[in-house]
Amino acid sequence: MSRLTRVFLLALTPFVLIAGSVEEDQALFVDEVYPIFERAQCRLCHDDNGIATATRVQFPPEQASSARLLQFGYALRPVVDAANPGESLLLTKPTQKVPHTGGQRIALGSADAATLGRWVQALAGISAEQARGRIAQLGGASESSSGSVRRLTHAQYNNTVRDLLGSETRPAATFPPEDYVDGFSNQISAQAASPILTEAYNGAARKLARAAFLAGDSHGLIPCEPSGPGDPACRDEFLREFGRRAFRRRLSEPELTSYGALFSAAARQDRAFSSGAQVVIEAMLQSPNFLFYGHEDSRDHRIASRLAYFLWNTTPDESLLEAADNGQLNSSAAVEKIARKMLADPRAQDSVDDFLAQWMRFDRLLLAVRDSRIYPEFSVELAASMAEETRTVFRDIVWGGKDFNTFFTADYSFVDQELAKIYGVTPPAEPFGQVQLPASAGRGGILGQASFLTVTSKPGESSPTERGKFIREQFLCQIMPPPPAGVSTQLPLVTDEMPLNNRQQLSIHLSNESCANCHRLIDPIGFGLEHYDAIGKFRETQTVEIRPTVDEQRTKRKTEATEYLLPIDTTAYIQGIENSEFATPREAGQVLASDPVCRRCTVKQLFRYALGRHETEADQTSIDQVFQQFEGSQFDFRELIIAIAVSEPFVGADQ
Amino acid sequence: MHLPQPALSRRSFLKGATAGGLAIRIGLPALDAMFNISGTAYAATDAPREIEKRFLLWFNGNGISEKYWIPSETGADYPITPCLSPLATLRDDVHIITGLDSPAARLPGPGNSHYPSMSALLTGQVYTGRGAGGASFDQILAQQIGGESRFRSLQIGVSQECFGEAIQRNMSWADRDRPLPPETLPNRLFDRLFGEKEGGWVERQKSVLDAVSEDAERLNKRLGSTDRQRLEGYLSSVRDLERSITSLPPEYREVVERPTEGGDLRDWPRIAKLQSDLLVHAFASRQTRVASYMLTKCQGLARFPWLGHTAERHHEYTHGQVETPRGARILRDINRWHVEEFAYLVAKLKSTPEGEGTLLDNTCAVFVHEHAEANAHKNNGLAAIVAGHVGGLKTGTHTRLTGSIGDLYVTVAQEALGAGKLEFPTAEKKLSEIV
Repeated sequence: MSRLTRVFLLALTPFVLIAGSVEEDQALFVDEVYPIFERAQCRLCHDDNGIATATRVQFPPEQASSARLLQFGYALRPVVDAANPGESLLLTKPTQKVPHTGGQRIALGSADAATLGRWVQALAGISAEQARGRIAQLGGASESSSGSVRRLTHAQYNNTVRDLLGSETRPAATFPPEDYVDGFSNQISAQAASPILTEAYNGAARKLARAAFLAGDSHGLIPCEPSGPGDPACRDEFLREFGRRAFRRRLSEPELTSYGALFSAAARQDRAFSSGAQVVIEAMLQSPNFLFYGHEDSRDHRIASRLAYFLWNTTPDESLLEAADNGQLNSSAAVEKIARKMLADPRAQDSVDDFLAQWMRFDRLLLAVRDSRIYPEFSVELAASMAEETRTVFRDIVWGGKDFNTFFTADYSFVDQELAKIYGVTPPAEPFGQVQLPASAGRGGILGQASFLTVTSKPGESSPTERGKFIREQFLCQIMPPPPAGVSTQLPLVTDEMPLNNRQQLSIHLSNESCANCHRLIDPIGFGLEHYDAIGKFRETQTVEIRPTVDEQRTKRKTEATEYLLPIDTTAYIQGIENSEFATPREAGQVLASDPVCRRCTVKQLFRYALGRHETEADQTSIDQVFQQFEGSQFDFRELIIAIAVSEPFVGADQ
Repeated sequence: MHLPQPALSRRSFLKGATAGGLAIRIGLPALDAMFNISGTAYAATDAPREIEKRFLLWFNGNGISEKYWIPSETGADYPITPCLSPLATLRDDVHIITGLDSPAARLPGPGNSHYPSMSALLTGQVYTGRGAGGASFDQILAQQIGGESRFRSLQIGVSQECFGEAIQRNMSWADRDRPLPPETLPNRLFDRLFGEKEGGWVERQKSVLDAVSEDAERLNKRLGSTDRQRLEGYLSSVRDLERSITSLPPEYREVVERPTEGGDLRDWPRIAKLQSDLLVHAFASRQTRVASYMLTKCQGLARFPWLGHTAERHHEYTHGQVETPRGARILRDINRWHVEEFAYLVAKLKSTPEGEGTLLDNTCAVFVHEHAEANAHKNNGLAAIVAGHVGGLKTGTHTRLTGSIGDLYVTVAQEALGAGKLEFPTAEKKLSEIV
């Protein structure tokens, strides 16, 4: 059947064709058209975390089912012009017949364009209403869950053994480091088992168990006075008490039996009650019941563990365990009440600090290196001060109950002597006392802080590209697609004939179409922060040093480095945000603070940290609700924490 | 619990020493005392054992400076280049290979160019956005030839400096998105391989781990499928641990000093040599047949105070002033240091007697980077070095190949290591130039 006949028939006899055509459509869209989109990498921008969030085309997640893909296929109906299919945006945008921010992804006149054209024709043959009907007919496509059981992070491990055994040794400091995946180092998808981590748990458990009784029972782990090495009553009392705290729930009978046998064998062999206790501790610290949480068999205990590790970054305390034991976490109101109580506890600070450290990538900041000829004042200590500044501002906003948008706009900060020098402000009386940032200066908010400006710079020079990318990814939750395959990422050499500042050098990105597709979304943001160098110090001009090339050196045409002081133009904007022109960090912060995508991004980032995974389509309703609560509280970050802590994805829907 | 009882020597010797339950620490006789009369196999078991074939995948981040690395001519008389000069005295033991393709690096997918190049180099599959697209070659091989050893494979690392993503930190991958992190601390590696075992240690470990396994199995029954899969991963690593504890080969306590704790943990040349020593001892004492060695990270950010280059980090040096004489020299120095550490390991293998020859005769070490020219992120025309003589590897020459990194892996595995049938996504043909 020719395409035209099919369209004609579709228009005339919809009923007959709906029955047969879903399969046909599936064959065309899922098998032929969708792979073209994937090759063209459309999904990387057109999804909830892409830079094209605001357009009408929103791709389903990676590895979606065929049914979900076909639903998406029908959802493209609004970008098809039934009267004039050839001029449909679905065809003209990716081929760039009309301007497309993502550039030409599919060549005009190619076989791929023709295949896409067939789908456009198919969609033109059904009404918008029919398309919606077919989406409904395909049903709620189920999503694969990433699971909900989580491994203790290294920080949680350290805190937990501290609370459980009184050990301040922080054994996880020498565990293999945690990898960053999807923006955080606590994500479930990066928590696969590995031999050296398992061995590290094994070694740490042995040491911790041995240390627990080195000075007698100094931590009060044995709750009774044993009448002898094998005293069964005291043994069981110990197992119940310690087991409950280690596994964050009561032990089952089979568990009591099996750990009881382990205990008795060791106690008998060494003729010492404490030997039995020691071997049990050693085993329990390697049990998945201890190392993982969120699997507890009662929902109340799961909630208790999740709340404790989210809000305190450590194991539940006695009162929280009691509440779970007594079934007191069985309603949303009860969970909220306990969460509020926990958030008011000083222990809550650790968790909020941990979130900030991952979100702002303090790990990278503390590893930063600066060219000491250009930045003699830079040191590891200075980098630590930069992190401390951001942490102090964040704490001030969160625990002071201020509008969270202040994070982007604050006209004050907390600095020490060294940072005060870099900022050119009078140092406060005490280290990290509050200082006012002069209204005349452009500094303000996180984008004016040295931590951000440093982490997004190279050793010798600022990087507008890195700064733009950081803002897109961390503050707008828009993941940048990679450079197209095979594109040269070389920038033009800066020469004496044509000394260029960063903006001029990067303009090559914007004049070359394959680079411009992405870089026009990135670089122009960073240009607005160019008055701040690679350690966040204000500079009037950019110093560019040009060293002789190999050839110049050989031919003696040039033997010495030359230096230029180039003017800086900070005219900047954020593509995709209306009226976003800015020229200073403080102005950029104001643009972000009032942008709905940015506000929603803060919610998403905390959601990802709290749940250890990326949000899915199924989470969107909950995220909307959380956002409304956050907004309704005048952006009180504590209310955001509470809203997530009581949300269905966090506590679990099951009863 | 029964340990395999060797016919002679050290195991029983050690056992005697532990009768009082004291920690043992005894210098052991040299390794050659343990060979049978013909010197071809270890004598510590009832039946003479075949000498094992070993494989090492050695990785260095970022790429090379082609100008200072690739010899201008091919063949046996190739002129040595500045970067390769540390191998000058080992010419007959290495095969300089250039021109390898890594086609999977150019398939569309997420990530900056280092990520897809890394995933393609090691797994022949596309970077997933979170990690490598499949099992890395060393793991594919370990499935075939690693099973009988105490450790199916070892992952060893040196510099940890990088941006922190999983794809940058790890070169060995059990499967898609399942990294196997390297051990970067010499003390911990030593303890894993040769750590002192107190009397009753094995029995005690076994009873503890049995309890852990029982617990894990009980828990698994209650979980949903995704969670169960992850917990099973943990359970199987607990079983691997148990096996490594209960299957100590008789030679596990090689004569090797425990590296002193502390010292400058950023002194990479020092750490690299300690790790190489431990690896050679691990091979010699038959603890593993397959290892990976990650000197620096993918897109690595190592610093080089001992070379006098401290203004920037490795990755920045590969992109900054590479056109200036100073920038080019810095890259040359960095690459030469990589080769120096590789040469140290090759020489160490060569100086370790085994059977009638040396450990190097029974080993194949392959040195790779995620890129060829680092500045250009070039992912075709990769340079590799194949060292060792196992299975009749050709050495003492420079060959410009037409083929992929996958072809190289599979040729080495099948032709030199006798690994049997094994698949790697980008392998298509045998490279007769190698074996």
